[in-house]
Amino acid sequence: MDSALATLLATKLGERLLLPVRQRFDETEIRVSIAHATETLRILHDDPILEFEMLIDLCGVDTGEEMQVVYHLSSSRSSDWLRLIVPGLERNAPRIASATSIWPGAEWMEREAYDMFGIIFEGNRDLRRIYMPDDYRSFPLRKDFYLADDASRSPAAGVRNMERAGTPQDATPATALRRTTGA
Amino acid sequence: MPQQTRPSLDDPRISIPAGSEWYEPAPTPQTERQAEFLTLKDGEMFVNMGPQHPSTHGVLRVVIKIDGEKVVDLDPVLGYLHRGVEKLCENADYHQAICYTDPLEYVSSLFCEAAPVAAFEKLMEVDVPRRAQYIRVLTMELNRIASHTLFQGWMALDLGGLTPILWSFIERDEIVDMLAALTGQKLLYNYYRIGGVNGDLNHEFMSRLGTWMSRAAAQIDSNLGLINENELFVRRTRGLGVLDAKTALRMGVTGPNLRSTGVPYDLRRDRPYLVYPELEFDIPTRTEGDSLARYLVRIDEIKQSIRIIDQVLHEMPDGPVMAKLPRLIRPRPGRAFGAVEGPRGVYGTYAISDGTDQPFRMRIHDPSFVHLQLVGPLTRGNLIADTMAVMASLDPVMGGVDK
Repeated sequence: MDSALATLLATKLGERLLLPVRQRFDETEIRVSIAHATETLRILHDDPILEFEMLIDLCGVDTGEEMQVVYHLSSSRSSDWLRLIVPGLERNAPRIASATSIWPGAEWMEREAYDMFGIIFEGNRDLRRIYMPDDYRSFPLRKDFYLADDASRSPAAGVRNMERAGTPQDATPATALRRTTGA
Repeated sequence: MPQQTRPSLDDPRISIPAGSEWYEPAPTPQTERQAEFLTLKDGEMFVNMGPQHPSTHGVLRVVIKIDGEKVVDLDPVLGYLHRGVEKLCENADYHQAICYTDPLEYVSSLFCEAAPVAAFEKLMEVDVPRRAQYIRVLTMELNRIASHTLFQGWMALDLGGLTPILWSFIERDEIVDMLAALTGQKLLYNYYRIGGVNGDLNHEFMSRLGTWMSRAAAQIDSNLGLINENELFVRRTRGLGVLDAKTALRMGVTGPNLRSTGVPYDLRRDRPYLVYPELEFDIPTRTEGDSLARYLVRIDEIKQSIRIIDQVLHEMPDGPVMAKLPRLIRPRPGRAFGAVEGPRGVYGTYAISDGTDQPFRMRIHDPSFVHLQLVGPLTRGNLIADTMAVMASLDPVMGGVDK
């Protein structure tokens, strides 16, 4: 646990932090709002004392009520992993600014988060499906997407065709992109 | 009767009618980057490589835009091996989730297990017994050697040398058999458990390891003579696909690919886990950043791994190999990130617990996925045959890329 990093982050980021810095084992966790996400990443990357040069991981999280984007950063100046959580993305239209202007390597990880959760990263030049076929309409890692053998948990009591890749008959283009198949 | 002539494929009048079952409309670009890729300039054409291609190390499809023999641009198409491991893990309990991660990088599956196990142990706040930590280091380093020797053979194979792969399989087979004697499986070991390992070292493993260790260094060195002194190999890889440190950091590169650019970033040193802080070893780095450097860094790592195994065998304490834990793992709600340094880079797992016996979210980060992004930038302007050399030197494994 790097307590110097906690005070440093608190002074550098100030009121951008939604919650106080949390630390556990070798992890430091901070939360910022969507509006401050890119700015915070830029400070963490560019600041000569913080110097978080490496983006180890970028992923989406669906909590069931909202979407989150989680960044794991690493710096040679600290022995802690820095976890930046950006909470509060709306589940029906999750949007956030892309990190590709700072780390071009985030492009595919953002594509994956789009493919799995439908999160739109504004500014990513190549935001399209990466694992699933282009005509696939669902977002598999969302919590309202049930596995076929897990159908007893579904609100429709088990009638759900997860492999149906086409657009549902009653869906408008806008809803088809945002809803899981048959949801 | 008019004379029947065989139609030539070069005939511009030949086209598949729109009603035919073979008709496939031209793809419509969905993004800015794809539109740029699909626009052909004069003299350019597309060539498809894969998904079944011996040089792509699995089922990867690459669409290459070429001008003559030169690669202008390329677009990897992923997903042929996508199994949805993250979703499966969310629907399995913590013990079951570990065995789902095994087939990710089938070449070095112990590392894929080690990352989620590290995250789950943080969630459970459990201390791993020291003997189990030593056993983990021992088996992981063996697996690293197995992976790197296979890489060495693969790389030569992709450049057209057929012999080295046969030689490198001698070492790999011996290590695989050794680990099979220990874990009961040849490829997907499923050996690590939350809080320890599944079973102590047995006699067969130890005797095989002892015999192998006595000749390992000499054997691997003699294999290297086949490749390292081969002028064709060296001239085809030196100066090819040069990556500089700044680009590597911005692209999220880790592991030997990053160390070949001169950045000595290794989790075993920078974020010490298990008993690595007590062991003596060097972090091999190179500054050239080309395909040859990426190859040589891995060769140096094999030697360091043998050094680590030697120390582990001398210092391994007695004791239990499993911590005392309830059979049903139910961590308190929380978040944890576990990461290990694998043969390809940082394997990470971000696990969220909601207090039940299943992970609420389990994110698996695989280094091959990030490294595959580099194939495009590194091969631009090179010959098609060099695409294989660059791809082989980045050493991606498609099982991990596609998850």
